Amino acid sequence: MKIARMQVKTTLAHLGVSVFLLSAPVVFSGQDKPAETMTVPDVQCVIGLEGIKPGATGTVSVRGGAIHFEQKDKKAEIAIPAIQDILLGNESRQEITGAGKVATMAIPYGGGRLLSLFSKKVEVMTVEFTDSNGGFHGAIFVFPPGHATEMKGILVAQGAKTTIHLPAPEEPKEQKEQKP
Amino acid sequence: MKRPNGTPKLHHFAVILSGAALLLAGALAAQPGQAQSGTSAPPAEKLKASAIQVERTNPPEDLVIPESFRVATYENVIREIDKTKKFQHIYRSGDQTAANEPNLVILRMVPSAYKAGSQKKREVTTVAGATSIKVTVQFTDKSGKVLLEKELEGKVRFFGENLRATYDLAKKVAKVVDDTF
Repeated sequence: MKIARMQVKTTLAHLGVSVFLLSAPVVFSGQDKPAETMTVPDVQCVIGLEGIKPGATGTVSVRGGAIHFEQKDKKAEIAIPAIQDILLGNESRQEITGAGKVATMAIPYGGGRLLSLFSKKVEVMTVEFTDSNGGFHGAIFVFPPGHATEMKGILVAQGAKTTIHLPAPEEPKEQKEQKP
Repeated sequence: MKRPNGTPKLHHFAVILSGAALLLAGALAAQPGQAQSGTSAPPAEKLKASAIQVERTNPPEDLVIPESFRVATYENVIREIDKTKKFQHIYRSGDQTAANEPNLVILRMVPSAYKAGSQKKREVTTVAGATSIKVTVQFTDKSGKVLLEKELEGKVRFFGENLRATYDLAKKVAKVVDDTF
C-alpha cells in the first residue's frame, strides 16, 4: 500500500515537471522574440530634432529602442521611453516645390497655377517627447502614405505612450474661422 | 480787365499741395498708433530677464487645432526666440530646472482663432485658401504677474505649406521679444 502511494506521488511529480517543461517555450516565447524594426527613406523632418535643419529629408528607422533620423552625416534620435504621444494626420503636398516651384511661375497663361493642381497625399506623424529635465519637445515627420501608421504601431508595441485625440479637420476642406 | 492766366492755376496747385502735405502728416502720425495695436501699451522701458520658459500652446476646448500645428508653433517660437539672443537660457515647457532660475519670464500662447486654409486653393486662385492662426501671447513673471499681453496672427497667403503660418507667427513673437526685452 505504502509502495503504491509512493509510485503515485513519483508519477505526479514527473507529470508536473513534464507539463512545466512543455509549457515553458509558450510562456517565454515573447521574451525571445527580437523587437521589430522598420526603416523608411525619404521622410521629411519638418521641425523638432536637435541638430537637424527644419525641412531636412532623410531616413527614419526604429531600432534599438529609439527612433533614428539620419541625413548624410547628421543624426538625431528619440528614445522610445521618452515618447509621450504620437499623432497621425493626412495632408496633401504639392508635387513641385522649391526652385521648381519658382520656375513654374514663369509659365505663361497660368500654366504654373495649373501645375499646382497636382498634389500627393502624405502622412504627418507628430511625436511628442520629453528630455532628461522633463522639457517638452515635438518633432513632425512627413511620411510617404502608409508608413506612419505602421511605424506608430511598432513604437506603441515597444512602449511608446499614446492618447486618443479628437480628429483634426482635414486640410483640403476649408474650415470657417472659429472664435471662442 | 483780364486777370493773368497763371494766378488761379498757382492757387489751385498750392491748395492741392497743402492738402497732400496734411494727408501725409496725418498718415505719419497714425503709424505709431497702428504699431501699438496690442491689448496693452508697450512698456516705456525694456523688460529685463535672463531666461524665458516657453509653455505649450493650449487652445480652448471649443477650438480644434491640429496637433502638428500646435507643436510647430511651439518649436518655431523657441527657434525664433533663440535667434534674438535676448536670453541666456530658453527653458521648454515642463523643464524642472527652470524653477531655480531667479530672473525668469514665462511665455504663454493661447490660440483664439484658426483657419485651416488650403495650399492648393492658394496657389491656384492666389486669393482664396489662406491659412491663419491668431494667438494671444502673454509674458508673465514667476509669480504670474502679467508683464505684457499681445494678440498676434500668423498667416500664409500665397505660396507655402499650411504649417508655414506657424513660422510667420513665430517671427512675430520673436519681434515682440526683441522689442520688449
